[in-house]
Parts: sequence; C-alpha cells; structure tokens
Amino acid sequence: MSNSTTVQSPLEAVRAEVRKKIRPDMAYIAIGYGTCGIGNGADEILAIIEQAIRTNGSKPVRLKKTGCFGYCSAEPLVNVYIPGKPLLILHKVEKKEAVKILKAVQQGDEGFLRRRALCKIEEWDFLTSNIQFGTGFPGVPRWNEVPFFKGQQKLVLRDAGLIDPTDIEEYLAVGGYSSLEKALFQLTPARIIQEIKDSGLRGRGGAGFPTGKKWELMRQETSPEKYMVCNADEGDPGAYMNRNEIESDPHALIEGMTIAAYAMGAHQGFIYVRAEYPLAVERLKTALEQARKYKVLGPNILDSGFGFDIELVEGAGAFVCGEETALIASAEGKAGRPVPRPPFPAQKGYNGKPTTINNVETLCNVPAIIAKGADWFSSIGTTGSPGTKVFSLVGKVKNTGLVELPLGTPLEQIVYTMGEGAGKKKKIRAVQTGGPSGGCIPATLFNATVDYESLNSLGAIMGSGGMVVLDSDNCMVDTARYFVEFTASESCGKCTPCREGLSQALEILTRITRGEGTEEDLAKLEELAKVIKDSSLCGLGQTSANPILTTLNYFRDEYLTHIHAKRCDAGICESLFLALCENSCPLHMNIPGYLQLLKEGRIEEAFELTLRDNPLPGTVGRICHFHCQMRCRRDTIDEPVHQGEIHRYLADTIYKMGKERDIYAKLLKEKLPRTGKRISIIGGGPAGLTAAFYLVRLGHEVTIYDDHPKAGGIMRYGIPDYRLPKDVLDKEISLLKKLGVKFRMNTRVGKDITLEDIDENSDAVFIAVGAGKDMDLEIPGKDLKGVYPGYELLEKFSLGKMKSFGKNVVIIGGGNVAIDVARTALRLGSKVTVVYRRDRDALPANPQELKGAEEEGVEFLYLSAPKRILGEKGHVTGLEIEKMELGDVDASGRRKPIPTGKKKTLPCDTVVIAVGEKVDSDFLKAYGVKVNKDGTVKADPISLNAGPSHIFAGGDAVTGPATAAEAMGLAKKAAESIDTYLMKEKRFHRLFVKFVYKDEVPFNPESCPQNRPKEIPPAERITNFMEINQGYSGEQARLEAERCLRCDVRAVTMERR
Amino acid sequence: MEQTTLKKESTMETGTIPSSAPKTVATCTITVNGKSYTVPKGKTILEAVSALGYSIPTLCHLSEVASNASCGVCVVEVKGAKSLLRSCVTKVTEGMDIRLATPRVLAARRTNVELLLANHPKDCLSCLRNQNCELQSIASLLGIDNVRFAQTRKKPLPLDTTSVALVRDPNKCILCGRCVAVCSEVQGVNAIDVMGRGAKTQVATFFFKGLGNVACTNCGQCALVCPTGAIVEKDHTAEVWKALQDPKKVVVVETAPAIRVGLGEAMGMEWGSLVTGKMVAALRRLGFSKVFDTQFSADLTIMEEGHELIQRLSNGGKLPMITSCSPGWIKFIEHFYPNSLAHVSTCKSPQQMFGSIAKTYYAEKMGIDPRDMVVVSIMPCTAKKYEAKRPEMMGAFHYWQARLNLLEKDKFYDVDYALTTRELARMLKQASIKFDALEEEEFDDPLGQSTGAAVIFGATGGVMEAALRTAYEVVTKKHLQSVDFQAVRGLEGIKTAEVDLNGTKLKVAVAHTLKNARILLEQIEKGESPYTFIEIMTCPGGCLGGGGQPIPTTTEIRKKRAESIYREDARKGIRKSHENPAIQQLYKEFLKEPLSHVSHELLHTEYTERGVY
Repeated sequence: MSNSTTVQSPLEAVRAEVRKKIRPDMAYIAIGYGTCGIGNGADEILAIIEQAIRTNGSKPVRLKKTGCFGYCSAEPLVNVYIPGKPLLILHKVEKKEAVKILKAVQQGDEGFLRRRALCKIEEWDFLTSNIQFGTGFPGVPRWNEVPFFKGQQKLVLRDAGLIDPTDIEEYLAVGGYSSLEKALFQLTPARIIQEIKDSGLRGRGGAGFPTGKKWELMRQETSPEKYMVCNADEGDPGAYMNRNEIESDPHALIEGMTIAAYAMGAHQGFIYVRAEYPLAVERLKTALEQARKYKVLGPNILDSGFGFDIELVEGAGAFVCGEETALIASAEGKAGRPVPRPPFPAQKGYNGKPTTINNVETLCNVPAIIAKGADWFSSIGTTGSPGTKVFSLVGKVKNTGLVELPLGTPLEQIVYTMGEGAGKKKKIRAVQTGGPSGGCIPATLFNATVDYESLNSLGAIMGSGGMVVLDSDNCMVDTARYFVEFTASESCGKCTPCREGLSQALEILTRITRGEGTEEDLAKLEELAKVIKDSSLCGLGQTSANPILTTLNYFRDEYLTHIHAKRCDAGICESLFLALCENSCPLHMNIPGYLQLLKEGRIEEAFELTLRDNPLPGTVGRICHFHCQMRCRRDTIDEPVHQGEIHRYLADTIYKMGKERDIYAKLLKEKLPRTGKRISIIGGGPAGLTAAFYLVRLGHEVTIYDDHPKAGGIMRYGIPDYRLPKDVLDKEISLLKKLGVKFRMNTRVGKDITLEDIDENSDAVFIAVGAGKDMDLEIPGKDLKGVYPGYELLEKFSLGKMKSFGKNVVIIGGGNVAIDVARTALRLGSKVTVVYRRDRDALPANPQELKGAEEEGVEFLYLSAPKRILGEKGHVTGLEIEKMELGDVDASGRRKPIPTGKKKTLPCDTVVIAVGEKVDSDFLKAYGVKVNKDGTVKADPISLNAGPSHIFAGGDAVTGPATAAEAMGLAKKAAESIDTYLMKEKRFHRLFVKFVYKDEVPFNPESCPQNRPKEIPPAERITNFMEINQGYSGEQARLEAERCLRCDVRAVTMERR
Repeated sequence: MEQTTLKKESTMETGTIPSSAPKTVATCTITVNGKSYTVPKGKTILEAVSALGYSIPTLCHLSEVASNASCGVCVVEVKGAKSLLRSCVTKVTEGMDIRLATPRVLAARRTNVELLLANHPKDCLSCLRNQNCELQSIASLLGIDNVRFAQTRKKPLPLDTTSVALVRDPNKCILCGRCVAVCSEVQGVNAIDVMGRGAKTQVATFFFKGLGNVACTNCGQCALVCPTGAIVEKDHTAEVWKALQDPKKVVVVETAPAIRVGLGEAMGMEWGSLVTGKMVAALRRLGFSKVFDTQFSADLTIMEEGHELIQRLSNGGKLPMITSCSPGWIKFIEHFYPNSLAHVSTCKSPQQMFGSIAKTYYAEKMGIDPRDMVVVSIMPCTAKKYEAKRPEMMGAFHYWQARLNLLEKDKFYDVDYALTTRELARMLKQASIKFDALEEEEFDDPLGQSTGAAVIFGATGGVMEAALRTAYEVVTKKHLQSVDFQAVRGLEGIKTAEVDLNGTKLKVAVAHTLKNARILLEQIEKGESPYTFIEIMTCPGGCLGGGGQPIPTTTEIRKKRAESIYREDARKGIRKSHENPAIQQLYKEFLKEPLSHVSHELLHTEYTERGVY
C-alpha cells in the first residue's frame, strides 16, 4: 500500500460536489449551536428566524447550525454570509434582533450588519483546505483583531463554529478525511508514527506524554486484538474544551482516531464520553453513522482493506475515570478504580489487550499534522511543547470562553489581553490551571509562559486546560478547600493517602475557613499534602495536593489571616465575618448594627456603636471611599446602601444636640486601669489618631508626635474644607484629648527629636507617618518657577502659606490629590485643566470627586501624556502633551495608553504635578525598621510588627498611599497587637460592648435607589469653600437604613454548633 | 499394591498456587541503600530486597492473595521517579537505585499509617484481634506515638451481624482489600466488594444486605486474611462457658482433625505443632464431661459415603459423586450450581454425624436425657457455625420426638455450638491453662476412637484417600498393601488420579478452594466431567487452612500443618475407617449397616437451592 505512487483519493469527487456548502451562491445565516450557545438562547433565535423564513417570501436565505467559535461571554454568536463578502460574526445576538438580521441579509443591508458585527473572516485556513470567503465590510475588525482572539491560533478548533457538525459533507468540504486518505494510501503505519514523533505532539489530557512514543509502544505489541480509545471524560470543574471540540467538530476526532488506529494496528475502539454531555453524545452518534455511510469508518475503510470501528461508551461521571486504568475498568463494566502500572495499557489494557488511550484534543491534532507535516506543527509553540492548546478561560475576567493559543504564550496575555482583566475595581490575584489537580499561580508570576515545563515548575499543571481566574473576591483558602472537597469526594477510595489524606486535608482546611485553625495545622497540612503527592497510587491523588501546596506557597499570609486575625478579607468564609459590608470596611464597623439601631430610633446607641468601631465617624463619613458599598448585596437589586452617609448623619445629629458629651464621658469612665506602659505614636494622621484612641482606653500612656501645628494629617492639610469642614475633625480629636492622649505638635521626629529619644521613653512605638511626600515626575522643565508638587501645594494652602495658584493652572495626574488641587484652584479663581494619560474610566480618583469637579467646570484632557514643561525666563508658560490611544488591558485591569506621536501645547502659568505620593521613611532605617524600596515600612501582615519587637507600623507608612479608612483599619489592628504585645494577654475585646437589636430581614424588598444627600449647586459653591455635601435629613437616613437587606442575619440550622 | 494403579495426571492451572520459577534465571543489578546487588529479574522490589536481608514493612500486601497497592506503607524512593514507588508491585529493573528508609519514605509511611489510625477505633483492648493485629504491629514498628489527625468519621458505621458465622465491623476496616481479593480471587465467590468513593468507601455486600443475606459461603477466609478485627468469627465462647457451668448439662466436645495441628500455634507454639494429647488434656480442664473426636465420625462418614459411592456405581446413580464434608462448599453449590446438587453425597459432615450419634446412640447408651446434652464442636472452620444451625440438622430431635413425646419447644440441634480453633484458644487462655506444660491425655471412649484415615480429613485429598482405602478393600475384598495415595496429597489446586477397582477404572479428582471447585462444576454442568468421585474442600489446603484456624495462615504454615496430619496418620495403628472397632460396634449395636434406615434418618441430609441473589 505504501508503495503506491498514484495518489488515491476516493473522496475527492464528493468534495468537489459539496464544497459549495461552505461558500455557497446564496446567503446563509449560521447559528452557533453548541451547549453554550443554546444556553444563551441560540435555540430561540433559530426558531424565530426559521419561522420568519417560512412566512416572509423574499430572497431565500439558508439557515444552518454550527458549533461554537469559542467566545462564550459573547454568545449567542451568529455567522452571516453574503456571497463574495467576508463571513461576519455577530455576537450577543438578542431575540428581538433575529428578524432584523434576517432582513438585513435578505436586503443586503450592509450598514446594519457592519454595525452589528463583532468581526469578519475574509479567508480561513482550515489546515486541510483554505477558503476565501470574500472581501468587504470596511471598518469591521478582522477576527484576530478582537481582543479575545488576539494571539489565538485555531488548530484544534479549526472548524469549530464555522462548519455544521451534524453534516459530514461540510467536514469533507473543508478537506476533512483527506489526512485519512493520505495515511491509508500514501503512508505506512511506521511513517505515521514517525511523523507524530517528529511533530513533538504531547498528550493534551494533561500529563503531556509524547503521543508518538505511546503509539510506538502499542505498535510493538503483536496481539491481533488491540484497542484505540479516546478519553472524552472531561471532568475538571470549569473545563469544557473537549465538549466543544466534540460538539463543534466530531469528525476531526473520528478522523484522528482512525489514523491512530491504522498506525497502531487497532481494529476496534471506543470513545469514553461523559453522559453529562448529551449534545456531544448525540453529535458523535450522528457523526459515527455518517462516517460509516461514507466508508471512512467500518470494516473496509475506503476500500483500503483496513478496518476500524468506534463504539461510544458513556461514563457515569466519575472524575477518576479520566485516569486511564480506571477508565478501562469502567469501560469493562467494573468500578472505576485505578490499578498500579506497569503493566501499561499499551501492554495490557481493555479486556487485557493492548490499548492506547488518547485525549480528544490530542487526536484532533492528528489530521492537521498528517496534512501539513511535523515541521509545520513543531514550528508552532515551544521546542519542548510544540503546537497549540485549548484552554477554557473562566472566572473573574471580562471575556470568557475557549482560547486556543500556541504553547509558550505568557499567562498575562491570556488573562489581560484576551480576557481583558477584571476591571479596575477588582484585582486579579491568581489563575488556577489544571482544575483540582492544578495549582494557583499568583498574578505576580503571570509573566510565566504556558507550557508543560513552565507550569510544572510553578507547582501547577497544564491539565486538560481549565483556567480559572481568581480576583480579590476569591478566598485562596476557600479555593483550596473547594478543590480538595471535590477531589476528596471523587477519590476512588482505594489508596490511603488519597482517600484518608484528602479527607483530613479537607477537615483542616474547613477548620481554617471557620477560624478554628492553628499554625500547627498549616505545618500538618503541608506535610500531609506532600505525602499525598508523593505516595498516592494514581494521577488523581498525586496531583490533588497541588491546590494546597501552591496556595500555601504563594498565599500563606491569607492562611495566617484566617488563623490569627480570624478574618477572610475576600468575604467568602462566612464564619469569619458579620456581613460583606462589615468585612469590606477596613475598620470592620458593625454596619448592620447601627443601621438597625437607627431604624429603631435609638440614635445615641447607633452613634456609640459607630464611635467604638471608628473614632472619627463624622470625618470618615465625609471623606471615605466607602469600601462598604463595594460588596453590598443590595447592589444586586438596585444600588448599594450608603452606609457611610448614615454614620456621618449620626455623628452630625449627635454633635448638633450635644449628646456626644454623655457618650464621651462613658468612654472615659470605662477606661481600663493604668498599665504604666508608655506608647509613642509617630504621626497624627488617621492611623496615629486611631491607634491612640484604642491604646489610651486600654490604660496606656499615649503620646503622638507630629511635625504639623495641629493633628489630623492629610485629613486636615490635604482635604479641602468643601469636603471636610475642620470643626468636625476638631470635635472628634477633642475626644482623644479628653481620653488623655498627649500631643507633641510641631515636632518632627528625626529633626526635633530623635527616634532614639522616643525609644528610650517608650515601651512601644507605633509608626504612622503617612505618605505625605509627592512623587517626582521626570519631565523636562520641572524646575521652572510655577511648577508645584500637588500635595505640598494643598498643605501650603491649608497652612495659609499660599493664597492663590495662578491664572491658568494645569494639573498632571488623576488621583484624589489632583482633583483636590483642581477644585481648590478653581475656587481661588484659576482656569483649571487636568491632564491624564489614560481614559476617564481608568481615572483612579473617587468618582464622586470627579463628578463634582466636572460639574464645577474643571477641564479634563484624557489620553494626554505630559512631555515637557515649557518656560520663558525661568517661569512656566505651557505644558506640551502627547495624545495617547488605548491599547490592550494591562495588569492594573485598565487599557494601556499608547503614544500616537500627536503633540499639543497647553499654555499655562502653573503646572501641578500630582502623580502620587510616597512614604518618607529614611529616618527609620537607622533604628532597625525594615523599609521597602518604595519607602514603605516592612511590617508583619498580621501583627504589624516592623522589626524590633516593640516597634509597630500602620497606615500609609505600610501600604503606601491608601484611603483614610484603610489607614485607620491597620492602626486598629496594630493597637490590638501592641496591647497584646505589652500585656501578654488579649484585652482588646473589652473595648467593645454588645448592642442588642432586632434581627429583621426585609422580605420582598422593592426596588428603591440610594438616597442622595442634598448638595450645594455648582454655581453657588465654586466661589467658596463651604461644605458641598449637606448630609442626609432624618427621613432620608431612616429610609436609607431601611434599604439594608440585613445579610448578617443567617439561618442557624440545627447541625451547626 | 498390585492391582491398584495410581497415576498422577497433569494438574490444572489454579488461582492460588504460584508457578515454579523458570530454570534459567535472568538477573539484573540494582542498588539498595547505596550497595549494589544482583537479583533475579521479574521480581518486585519487595521480593528482591527481602532476599537480601532487608525487611520493608507492608500492610495491604499479602503474598499469593492480594497486591492492591492501596495502603502506601511499602513505599520506597527510587532515583529518577517522580513520586515514591510501592515496592509490592514495582518490578526491579536494571540499574534501579533504591533507598529504603529516607526521611521522605519514613514520612510517607508514618503519615499513611497515622491516616488509617485516625478513623480506626481505639478500643484495641477489647478487640478480638488484640495483639494479633497487623495495624497494631505496623504502628508499633513505625514508632507512632501519636496520631496527628482527627477522626473524620462522625457517626460509626453499623456492624454487619447478619451472618451466623462472621461479624464485620466496617469501622475497623482499613480498606486494604485483602478480604475482597481472597473472596474473589481465591474463592470466586465475590460476596463482598468495595463500594462508594472517597471517605465513603467501604467493603460491603450486595445492596448492604449483610453477609447473612447474600451468597456468602461463610468460609471465613476473609477473616483469616484481615489484618485487623474488621472481620472476625462470631464468638460463641460465652454460650459455651455458660453451658459448662450449668450443672444440669452434660457437655461433650468433639474436635476436628485440623485442630490438633493448629491449636498449638494459637497457644504460642511452632507452626504445625501436633498437640493431640495436650488438646485433650486442655479440653478436660475446661470442664467438658467427655472429650470426643470428630475423627470418630469421620470414619463413620467414610463408611456411609463409601457405600453410597458403591451404590451409585452399581445402581446407575448420579455421578460423579462429590463429597459433602465441607459446609462452605455445600453453601457454594446451593448458591451457584443448584442444578448439580444431586451430585453431592447425601452424607452429613462428620461434625453433624457426631452430633446425631452423640445425642442418640451415646445418650441412650449412657442414659442421658438428650435435652440435657450439649454438644460442642471445635472446628477449624467458620462455616461449621452455619452448618450446625441449618434447620435440617436436628436428626437426634426427630429421633427422640416420638420416643419421648417431645414438643416443638423442646427442639434442639444435633450440635449446639461450633467453636473455631481461635475461640478455643481464647477459652484456654481465659481458663489460665498452661497449654505447653500439659501432660498428654487420651480421648474418651467410644466416640473418641479413630483411625489414620480420619486424621487426614484435615488435609486436601484426605477424604478421597480415606475413601479409597476403604472402597478398595470393600470392593475388591483384598487387603491394601500400601495405604498412602500420594497422588491426592499436596497443595496443587486440582489433583486427579485413576484407580483400578477390580478392573473398573475410576477417575477421581480433588479440589480445594471454591475457584477450583468451579472448574470441576463447569465440567459437570457441561456434561464433560470424566470423574466418578470428587473431593472438594472449601479452603486452601483443606480444613487445616480453614477460616477458623489461627492467624496467620500462609502456604508455608499450611504445609507444616499438613506434614503433622500425615505424621499423625502414619502413627495411628489402624489406618482404614472400616477397621475402627468403635465404628464396627456402632453398626452392630445401633446402625446395623451402612445406608440403613437409621443411618438415613441420622446421618444423611438434603440440600436447598438458593440462587445467587
């Protein structure tokens, strides 16, 4: 057969006949009809168009189904083809558009189609043939210009979403089964195996065993009875590549399997497919029948004398049956339990006969390799991992779906470019590759490439291709627990380490997520995980510890937070928080509590509750970024509850009535007895004040050192009066004075007093210096007169050292300082322009502040990067900017600005550089405090200890510039830690009292948007520094409190202790 | 043996007996703990290094029975391997560099055993397997001084007490898989299997119906191989103690042939120690009023069964005829081959024949009210417990019913309690009997008299040999020169021979283990069986390897016990059953002749079709 020199192609005649199905003379509409498409309504769209074609008699249009083109989050996808034009892919097609689309196709309404199209395909390389669809539709991006498809290379998915998977003729039309013909009539089995070996193809089921080598092992077996098996038992949570491969292109699999069988001398085979994939099973059945009809399968394939047939075996959904020896046992009708290897299936497999098992995707590669050759294949991907791999990209990214890319692609390209990140509000933390057998790779390692070796070196595995993106709302301990729960219940139960080990690991992980874990548990868990990995019998057990080991390795702090702080910052582990708002609040204020007390009319108590959690309730209620709203469950109905505005209302009301005096007296009275311990706090900003509030009440002697004349830090000197009137701040600081905190103002540590002096007179030191130093911008002309650093300018103004800013002020930057400078300048009579290098969506400042500034008439120039400051006679005359355009999404979750070369000059007399702040911590280094490169203090994340045992740090000093609430949250944590350090016992809880209130959950809450406080209109406010926000009325506050869904109230079941 | 030709035929391949090593042994070089050795190829690491003077701890492994590779204790480190390897299933290869006890290996072993201990009940002191528990030994061997893991099984699993013979405690099960392997691979019964996944995995019966309600033969091989106390015999010692202390009761005991070669082991003596006299002395000290011998009724069995065979031969009865002494085998055929029940001899087993004779002939002779008589049997067997409680085993009651006007409520079994060797040992220890120091004593008359033919009932092939000794002389009316039928001795799975009885050539077969029984039964059901007479014993090696024997019972130990059995046979003055004077007297005084009416009433039985489910 191999000596035959004439190329036999029994199917060529058929192909010529059916080629028109792909590029017909009439228009067609093809609906993406995979499980994913149907789930998103493709079936309804199909029905509507079908009906419309029947009833409206105009120009005929063919309607057909295809598989899925991979872009799940854009489903339903609909392909539209008008002869001579490129194939258009429409996305997120809605029912109501269906008839419009049909009409547009019938009438050739290109305008509509262009507007509606996601992308176009002008020509397509099906690898076994090349199809030119046509040209046209200017302005519509080519398919691989769409972010999701950028960098994708469709090899396995070459036909998916483009041909009708239920019609063998469409597969034939794109060159299908030509590789089988080539194999049967031109190549010897040995040649085929050599080709596969040369290609470097490795098993796509996850383990990456060289496919050619596997085939060669079975080829060497002399048994007349051999089996070729396809493993389609895809079971990883979040992975569905194989499902789509089968649903979209079943013949590619059948062709690949038949070539494999021919190469190895197998005459029987089966596909072990999950019963949970009914559509895949149905399409396979149809495909097998059609393949037999066209004689590409059966006793005498294409009259070559070679016979091979395939059966379907439906697996009942056991994860372990993906392991080949368990799969064989299951197919034989036994319980799916692995047996030790050797003997390998190639020697003794199904029914004791030589058996080769390949994954769906591995086999789908085969026809392409046979068609285009090993050299072509190995030129894709990396040397060690040639070819492409399909991943199912799911989780916390904007675009989800199946991506096929050359191996060696960096993770960041997948997550940020294709997935387009998670948006600027959420931070992507990790990717879990390989499902429960894989590992969590942290975002800091996203420059790693995706190939077998690289992933293994990070403790993860390629697996079958699941890629779950996790963000800050995912708890890594819970993630590990989730996967271990899965593997523990899917363990076949045979060997000790996997069966018992995983259930013990689950026990420990569950305890940690309930806040009942200890540090010994971590050591135990780690050792256990290593033993499970080291001594389990099969792949399931050996890899099941990966989620544990990688999270322990990369996210140990999070475990420690669960263990020591009993907190789950992601807000997942329910035992560790009251409600999501409370958990998101850096100060962990009992928000549901004060809302309820307010509802019950118990205003004093409500205020007292806020005060105990937050020493500056009136101040923070004005300037907070309202972390509490970010996860508020009310948001799922309409808008989050404005919890912060309510505690501001409470503070204002109490202060107005003078009722704070009683509460202050109460706090003073309950001060714990004097401990004799002296604590020095460096910095009188939000962090310093907060720590002082708690520490003084615990009976310690507290002194705050600050180089400003008054306490308050950035709240006093950085935040203008129109946002925070200083009398509120003064009132709240007065409580600290009453409680006995000593203030040493105008004292700069390191200059006016040495840290050594402080150290000598203190039992503990708390560093809360804040981030008050402006960051430099390396830009020509920055030394010209009229150039100011942003924060410095605000401080000068508030100290009265500067009365006006210039006539024409340009501000560089987009943070809160930039906006505060802009609005201050505006009030001082300047014309103000803010230049920012990214777009408005990416601007980091508080959205309310931005909106306020816009209303007031501050001009914003987005996508404008400062190039140089122009000047004459040493004084600023203008700023040259370069226009930018938006590129791909970067690691910050925002689209990157890309220079366009277009420049422009903005005339001005003042330039303010407000590109961020940093911590000035040089003076600390000499005292053994560890400092990071960016100036922040290195502190233990749990204890906030900063090196020497008695020195602690918190606030911006540790985090870099952050919100006041975040600084206060850390200070609160540090206060507890300092007290425990000094007193050797836990006393912090004594500062809190339990308020009893009703647990009422509103049933069937009606939609009701957030109550907006009254504001002074822009025209009235731009000439003065009066507070803009007038706060809630009593009625508004009560209504707003009623919007709370009280998710802190949980049903207590009998099982829970 | 002029007219008798005995020819050993080729034996069939069986599941239990390992094939002998090839003549030329290929070798390979391996490194163990840094030292280089040449070892035979094809061996597992465990086998190879054991021969080199190393001992790798194992738990689930049981040579010849199970290599589940499940426990993770025998792991070793092999250079170049990603994970640790199980030495019990990994074969040595050229150049293999093996480390037996690195910190990584020790951590894995220790952790895996700790994991098993976490959910294992901690009531060792009240466990039947206390001090004879492999889990206990391995924990001690690995120096486990605490278990770092919590018990994750919140509710204890229910005990399976449905069986008359065996009790399963899934809480003590460590899922080593030995019991499943022995039930499936050795016995071919599959009464138990592993069910469920993950932590819910357990060894269970069909639909959790319990051993007493499925096709379990009660052979007890599972209990014999269980490393812990997860499967044990149903203990009847308390009932026996109670009977012994009841002054109104006459408690007699019968001891099976295999006890005298097994009991010594349970009392701390050498494997296969022959302790007939000490056993008799010990039983007397326990308080039995008479110490009798099941060997007496074994001789009786030969009389009845031999004549049944002769009758079937002459009357055109169902052939081949199959022995019926082994109760596991009887239940097996009732479940799996009910259509072939007519092939089974109608003779009761020696245990049951003893019971019926003791409570009729002996009771009558001694003037004992049969209702006051308690017959205790000491058996190497758990299935005997079931056999004793079969409803048809009330020959004596029916005998007396009319004679004494007995009511239904007076019903009694022929044998009241069947104890295993292990239970007897337990009683002896409880009774503070210093077994090894006892002077040897003789059995009581008349039911204590037996021949060499009866002794060998304890070994596979023994019943056949005993039957042939009698049948030969009865049929040919000639004296047998040599009584040793070597062809039916030994541990091969199926042994066959051809016997010339006065010109009639009889083919006979002997099988032990139910898997081998299946092979012969398949032939019968297909009508292809060339045999006239077949002996089947349930357990590997026959009764000496029974499910009630001391633990451990291995091939090596079975061989030792068999040696003692044949030594006892050779030592006996009378070696043919029909020459036993007490048997002759029994026929003269009571039964009249083999297969007589009384015989049928007391010594023969019938069987029940059961089916598999």
